[in-house]
Amino acid sequence: MKKTLLKASVLGIMVMGWISTQSLWAQSDPTGKKPITSTYAITNATVVTAPGKAGTKSTVLIKDGVIQGVGTNLSLPKEARIIAGDSLFIYPGFIDGGSDAGITAPKDPERPKDFVSSNPPDEIAGITPWRSAVDQYSAADGKVEDFRKAGFTIAQILPEGGMIAGKAAIVVYGSEYSTNVLKTNTALLASFSGARGMYPGTAVGVMAKFRDVYQNTKLTKGRGDQYQTVAGVNRPEVTPTYSAMMDVINSEVPVMYEASSELEVRRAISLQKELGFKLILTGLEDYANVIDVIKAANVPVLISLEIPDDKAIKAQKDEADESVKAQYARVKEAYDQAIKQASLLEKAGVPFAFTTAGTKAGDVMKSLKTMIENGLSEEAALAALTTNAASILGMSRVAGTIEKGKMANLVISTDSLFSEDSQIKHVIVDGYVYDYETKSKKKASKSEDGSAAKVAGSWDYETESPAGNSGGVFQITQDGSDYSGTITLDDPSGSGKINADLNEITVNGKSMSFSFDIAAGGMNLTVNVSGEVEGESFEGTMSVAQFGSFPFKATLNPTLIAIK
Amino acid sequence: MKKLTYFLAALLGLSITYASAQTKKGSVLIKNATVLTVTKGTLENSDVLVQDGIIKQVGQNISAPNGVETIDATGKYLMPGIIDAHSHVALDVVNEATSPIVAEVRMRDMVNPFEVGLYRALAGGVTISHAMHGSANVVGGQNVTLKHRWGSEDPADIIMQDAPRTIKFALGENPTRVHGRGRGIQPRTRMGVEAVLRNGFNEALQYKKAWEDYNAASSQKGNTKTAPEYDERLQTLVDILDGKIIIHCHSYRADEIYMLINVARDFGITKLVFQHTNEGFKVAPEIAEYTMGASVFADWWAYKMEVYYSTAFNAAILTKNGAITSINSDSAELIRHLYHEAAKTQRYGGMTDEEALSMITMNPAKQLGIADKVGSIEVGKQADLVIFEGHPLSVYAVPQKTFVDGVKYFDIEKDADDQRLRVSATEMVEPIFLTEEDHRCMQDVELNFSDISKTLFNTNY
Repeated sequence: MKKTLLKASVLGIMVMGWISTQSLWAQSDPTGKKPITSTYAITNATVVTAPGKAGTKSTVLIKDGVIQGVGTNLSLPKEARIIAGDSLFIYPGFIDGGSDAGITAPKDPERPKDFVSSNPPDEIAGITPWRSAVDQYSAADGKVEDFRKAGFTIAQILPEGGMIAGKAAIVVYGSEYSTNVLKTNTALLASFSGARGMYPGTAVGVMAKFRDVYQNTKLTKGRGDQYQTVAGVNRPEVTPTYSAMMDVINSEVPVMYEASSELEVRRAISLQKELGFKLILTGLEDYANVIDVIKAANVPVLISLEIPDDKAIKAQKDEADESVKAQYARVKEAYDQAIKQASLLEKAGVPFAFTTAGTKAGDVMKSLKTMIENGLSEEAALAALTTNAASILGMSRVAGTIEKGKMANLVISTDSLFSEDSQIKHVIVDGYVYDYETKSKKKASKSEDGSAAKVAGSWDYETESPAGNSGGVFQITQDGSDYSGTITLDDPSGSGKINADLNEITVNGKSMSFSFDIAAGGMNLTVNVSGEVEGESFEGTMSVAQFGSFPFKATLNPTLIAIK
Repeated sequence: MKKLTYFLAALLGLSITYASAQTKKGSVLIKNATVLTVTKGTLENSDVLVQDGIIKQVGQNISAPNGVETIDATGKYLMPGIIDAHSHVALDVVNEATSPIVAEVRMRDMVNPFEVGLYRALAGGVTISHAMHGSANVVGGQNVTLKHRWGSEDPADIIMQDAPRTIKFALGENPTRVHGRGRGIQPRTRMGVEAVLRNGFNEALQYKKAWEDYNAASSQKGNTKTAPEYDERLQTLVDILDGKIIIHCHSYRADEIYMLINVARDFGITKLVFQHTNEGFKVAPEIAEYTMGASVFADWWAYKMEVYYSTAFNAAILTKNGAITSINSDSAELIRHLYHEAAKTQRYGGMTDEEALSMITMNPAKQLGIADKVGSIEVGKQADLVIFEGHPLSVYAVPQKTFVDGVKYFDIEKDADDQRLRVSATEMVEPIFLTEEDHRCMQDVELNFSDISKTLFNTNY
């Protein structure tokens, strides 16, 4: 494993360096990565061209990243690679209204010697409207791959920061050799979170400071206009903050306010009414009671693609007294309301899209299905993932539906998208085809009593790769339904062994999956392992973003369990 | 240039741009009560008619107009809704503690109409509270006067939109601890507090002049003067100097109280109320002459060094000297029985019923600038009313029904175990331990002290 990763990453770096000076499709391609063709036809699949449209059996032809046609009588060019779609379903690629995948916050600047906490420089106080998410984004981040695997093809990436974090941008989750930027400066991300230990430290200070920045940008503009037209006017002072806020006060760029709770939604809307900027609400989590307010304000909304955890419901005990039971009932009522909020938005006729900021790609389908089980129509769910998001992001011309002339962004699943056993088999982004392994769902794969396989203990593992075999040990400990663990592996950047924590350990029936992060060749890689447990053996695959999948086998070590 | 003038006008008018929402107004006839009007004596066996939220008639043998509910209050007492001149109820954030002057922050931005403390206050007969910024800053944020319209979802609906602007100031240990001791900036001492105030007001005067000069010049042809920087902090201080905002100042010691009186006199400020004011009895004549009085605790002190020299006779002494005096809670617990707190002035100082009741009705109304609207039972005033079983100044008093604008928001017969308006979907139900909720004057303040100074200065009020 060590050698594979090392080789692959070194190769990757070489290739990237080479690509930047050569044209992308040069004759010689030592990487072997160049696709033979950029024309694909997925034939005879059930195609849902837009939310609300019935799936019809047809063929989708794409070329050079653009949909060439959808229909039954397309003439397919010779160079088209045919993907037999007979059993497959095709949907428009998902669009993420707000994403933090691949975003790394820039380092805090050093505090100046004359730093005063009551009047800090903007950059330290979280006021950085000039920052762009593009500068903080890495398409190579494993999270980007995770969300692509979940069906996302376009995302509005959000900068990380304080009360005025910076400008969002829209990227496509396509080829690793492209910048993939579709649009920059799409929105100004703002929040009510204060700076730590300095002004403005709390939401009340943040609101006052936002007004201050907004009004002074207006005045700065006025001074600039005056300077241009009247002789003898003092040179106006232009600061990075005010320059970057100009397109916001001109209503060219909307303010995307993070407002998770109902009171934050009201605060953002009241600021908007007071100052007059264009507003998008994002990150809504608790909004059931302000749907009429959102509707009346007529602002676009991005709701969090996450459902509240049910820990509080699960913690309810049977043997509680009456007054406690009454309180339990209220928590349950609040929970039930929370998971049907999206359907309430739909009923109120408020078009909405999702933001995945702060959520996990692995939870996307679960969250969507929970929303659908609680009243959200499949059509509205798909619209939130495609056409509504395209409309809010101003991308409807090129994305959101499967139509001739639009970007070749497709989600191809093994069954109707939201049905129980449906899995995503291919995601096509910008004409590039990403294949994902699907598992044949066997009811028998669950253990007889339906309970989770026993995985706690110490496992010896082996993995095969073109560079040879490698192996080590991973340990899993179980605490109730929670698992944790570590893995030892050959250090990819040198000799010896290193340890990594296992993340997202999931055991479902006989299947087990987990991931871990390693640093190799200057890159942070996420390694995903998934497979089936059969008694004391585990068989599956290990996949690394961009480097492919390799077989992964393990056996549970009985002696160590005995020691434990 | 005309455009700019409009723009400036818009800036200055910011705080009044909140649309006054349509709040509920009720009609009710309360019959046969002992009516404690506070301003017009006690009326035995009398009726009060409320229509559309306004007191329409006070007298005897009033009959209910069509469709108006009648409540028989025979044997019960009716008094004006209690007004708490110092509270931090229903605020999501209390302190923006990061700068010695934060006049620009507005507590109305942080109103949380779902806080159950509002209902508990109603259960104690309190219909209006003055939700204040904390005391971490020499000049704190702008406070908000709330009407306890429990059940409202829009924060704007529990804000008393026709109340004047008020602002929090703080003297003494809190601002010097947070800024001087905590962050190494002015003010470190009481002298520093005065310097911050005087510098602030002087800067505000310069700011005002800069804008006046600009506005005068901007209408001239070929004007080369550019607009000054906008600063809501200084603009708010200008508004104080222009008499548009009432100062409510956290204070304990007589010397600092007298200091602020002098600062106010030097800058021509007359709208000034002292809060806590434990040593107010030492400077009562000065408070009476130069200010809008003091809002004090009945008998609460010794929670830090500057609050040791105190007396339960404080309110009575202030009153006898002619200072407008109110009794406040500054606490989620005390707010539920301010009528007891007011009664203490009868035990310590021999106040009359009317004087004692005024301290939780008419006098706080005066200090909040709303005495023309609430604070007593008079025809034409807003119908904020409480029906008591037992005289409100008796230890046996129990509030029965509380009305705001003629709408009943508390009824002891319909008081359910769980009155919360909002319940979190993800918070577990934990056993409840009954502890007194502390003052929130220093909430949201980050303090960075060593362990030793923590034990020395770890007080919360």
